[in-house]
Amino acid sequence: MLPAGMISKENPQPIRIKFKKVGNLQYISHLDLQRTFEKVIIRSGIPAWYTMGFNPHAKMVFGLPLSVGCQSVCEYLDIRITEYMTFNEIKARLKTALTDELDVIEVYEPQMKLTDIGAARYTLTFETRGACEDLADKAKALFEKPVAMEKKGKAGVKEIDITKMIKSLDCRYDPETDRIVIDTTVSAGQAETLNPEMIVTALREQLGFLSEDILTEHYSIMREEIYNLNGEAFR
Amino acid sequence: MDEKYSSILKSVQKPGRYSGGEYGQTIKDLSDGRVKARFAFCFPDTYEIGMSNLGVRILYGALNREEDIWCERAYAPWADMEEKMIEHDMPLCALESGDPLSMFDIVGFTLQYEMCYTNVLQMLKLAKIPLKSADRTNDQPIIIGGGPCSYNPEPLADFFDCFSIGEGEDMLVEFTKLLIEEKAKGNFDRQEFLHYAATKIKGLYVPSLYEVTYKEDGTIGSFGPIYPDVPKRVTKRIMKDMDKAYFPDKVVMPYIETVQDRIMLEVYRGCIRGCRFCQAGMIYRPVREKTPEVLCRQAKCLYENTGYDEISLSSLSISDYTEIEKLTTKLLEWTDDKKVNLSLPSLRVDSFTKELMEKIASVRSSSLTFAPEAGTQRLRDVINKNVREEDLFRAVGVAFDAGKTTVKLYFMNGLPTETADDLLGIPKLASDVVHQFYINPNRPKGKSPQVTISVACFVPKPFTPFQWERQDTVEELTEKNEYIYQNVTDRKVRYTHHDPKTSHIECVLARGDRRLCRALEEAANRGFHFDAWDEYFDYDKWVEVFEATGIDPAFYANRQWGFDEILPWDVIDCGVSKEFFRRERDRAYGEITTPSCREKCSGCGANKLGGERTCCPQA
Repeated sequence: MLPAGMISKENPQPIRIKFKKVGNLQYISHLDLQRTFEKVIIRSGIPAWYTMGFNPHAKMVFGLPLSVGCQSVCEYLDIRITEYMTFNEIKARLKTALTDELDVIEVYEPQMKLTDIGAARYTLTFETRGACEDLADKAKALFEKPVAMEKKGKAGVKEIDITKMIKSLDCRYDPETDRIVIDTTVSAGQAETLNPEMIVTALREQLGFLSEDILTEHYSIMREEIYNLNGEAFR
Repeated sequence: MDEKYSSILKSVQKPGRYSGGEYGQTIKDLSDGRVKARFAFCFPDTYEIGMSNLGVRILYGALNREEDIWCERAYAPWADMEEKMIEHDMPLCALESGDPLSMFDIVGFTLQYEMCYTNVLQMLKLAKIPLKSADRTNDQPIIIGGGPCSYNPEPLADFFDCFSIGEGEDMLVEFTKLLIEEKAKGNFDRQEFLHYAATKIKGLYVPSLYEVTYKEDGTIGSFGPIYPDVPKRVTKRIMKDMDKAYFPDKVVMPYIETVQDRIMLEVYRGCIRGCRFCQAGMIYRPVREKTPEVLCRQAKCLYENTGYDEISLSSLSISDYTEIEKLTTKLLEWTDDKKVNLSLPSLRVDSFTKELMEKIASVRSSSLTFAPEAGTQRLRDVINKNVREEDLFRAVGVAFDAGKTTVKLYFMNGLPTETADDLLGIPKLASDVVHQFYINPNRPKGKSPQVTISVACFVPKPFTPFQWERQDTVEELTEKNEYIYQNVTDRKVRYTHHDPKTSHIECVLARGDRRLCRALEEAANRGFHFDAWDEYFDYDKWVEVFEATGIDPAFYANRQWGFDEILPWDVIDCGVSKEFFRRERDRAYGEITTPSCREKCSGCGANKLGGERTCCPQA
């Protein structure tokens, strides 16, 4: 961080906030999250840098947007501050302005650019009928050869092989919870992004996952970590 | 969160409506036994609307301020969620704890508009609580209603155990504490409790303690308490001193966008005006103001605790606040610096000034709304909307000077004594406003004006001088709408109107008596919900329900009620006397206006309720 006397409106200090978004908060969209943080910044009393224009607001840049229905323990938000304040103080102030399910993990000076994000690791947990080691093996095998799926984009629907965007995928059966657990790292960032829901859809369509009642069969997705283009943990 | 519930949220629209977990919600520990009563505060419409209600924000805080009470929230699930809940047999739960409403001690509903009645019943059904008060057992929740519609609670009499009449901050706490005491004694009997509460708690109306008989012509023959110790009339409660009344210092912060996603600062209660169609202007009397010092302190505290960057100065007619100048100046001392906007929801044309407009940051919107309500001065005098054409022209002039180009004008059709001239006056006034734009030398150059006229149908409401009036039939109102439409010739004028069919049902429910309960029960059985929403309101189905239950809707809506009739809402005393309403009704037909409370007291009677910082004479 810059020395106290050198931080000003003209020369604001960049700050990175790592936070989690779990539990109920998985149902809050990215847009709503942005609106929420505008208020969080105000009520935390952090000296955030404001845009100048017609409708001034705290300048915020988020890392990789998270889909609704997906939880995360590695979300990133960059802001700038116009007065000196220690990272600990910023973290403590944010904590009072947040909840257990949307909470600050760490505050520090950015080491990498948000545009350098290249991959994300997810855990997918399934409570599905007939879960067993055999089914886990089948699920793992499914992604070892091309899986063609339809992807809706701006230019209409196109067919893609989602395995091209899967960097690694491990699948196991957990007998204790009777669940199938997938640990996967997929492309994420500006060049290309694989929404982990596509993996769920592939399992649903091709292996009959989650085909029964939604009360007895369900799944959850947790974003565990983000990496840069070189595969290093994002900082 | 429960995994099953979570699973369902993946398959509905706007799951943020049901997820809870907001910053500012109150969570209490149930394990140490300090919480003695659980209160579920229900808003019978969507989350987005319910979260915007200032009354709910206040009462949620007032109840949770008590250590032994835990108040939680519940809203009407949208149709897609409702379908999932029924399919998977999941009961309606409160957002904070996720516990079903059926295990609460008290379930309260705020009744803001008549068209939400079917949602109330739908929510009770989803909560698996018997619809009728008489069918509930001792261990089931007490169902209490409140809010403006509870001033005529009769159409809901069978479903609610009791109603809180008037302002609930103190009353609901007293009621809940009494319930805690009585339950602690053991052998709790709900009917005995309700009877006891009706004698102890002022402002509590328990419909099952009253008997109603009807005459052959269908009007009420008698209406009175069954027991001698139950009050013949229930007088509404008010907070006497608004400076000292509880006002929340925080807000449950929604993640998803809501209708009023901002700080709502309640500046004063009541209204000095006395428009003769307006129920709010009568039932919230007497006027009681807060001081600018208190308001400024509350605003600042809310800003710091919420992070909202907009403060709406809330009241029935904000420009009538005696210290508006001082308040806005005092607020601007810090809001400007913090980039916080002030907004005003309601403006009267006669007090809309350049100075006031400059202080409110309506920079974001280029539109301003005014409510002349009627097209001619004659009819504006009849309804006592003391606004003159010159006032409107002056007000729009200020707006055009400031570069605004769009103006919205609210009107009503079907008002008592209305003639074709009055209807023609609506498009004419709009065209005159367009003309005002072009003759204004300071108008924004190179732009053209847009004047929108929005015409609502008059609904005669209880506790207004027009409470006895006949409402025009659906056909008459439809013809009038068409007539106005044909006479909108100015291309700069856009015309929209309300649906007369909705207004008709609204009138039936507003002036209904307890015989309407059977129609509402039938509507609930047929799965009615969201009748305030065009996509769910189905007039033909309502007609079928009335036919099936032997109710003649015209009896309630399209009949001139007799002045000596016992009215279903006579059991409630809102402070303003029936004699005053009668007097005002006669003055309306004589086209005589009545001065505002500040100019001259008209003896409405509300001063008997007391109150600080009011313009009323001592009772």
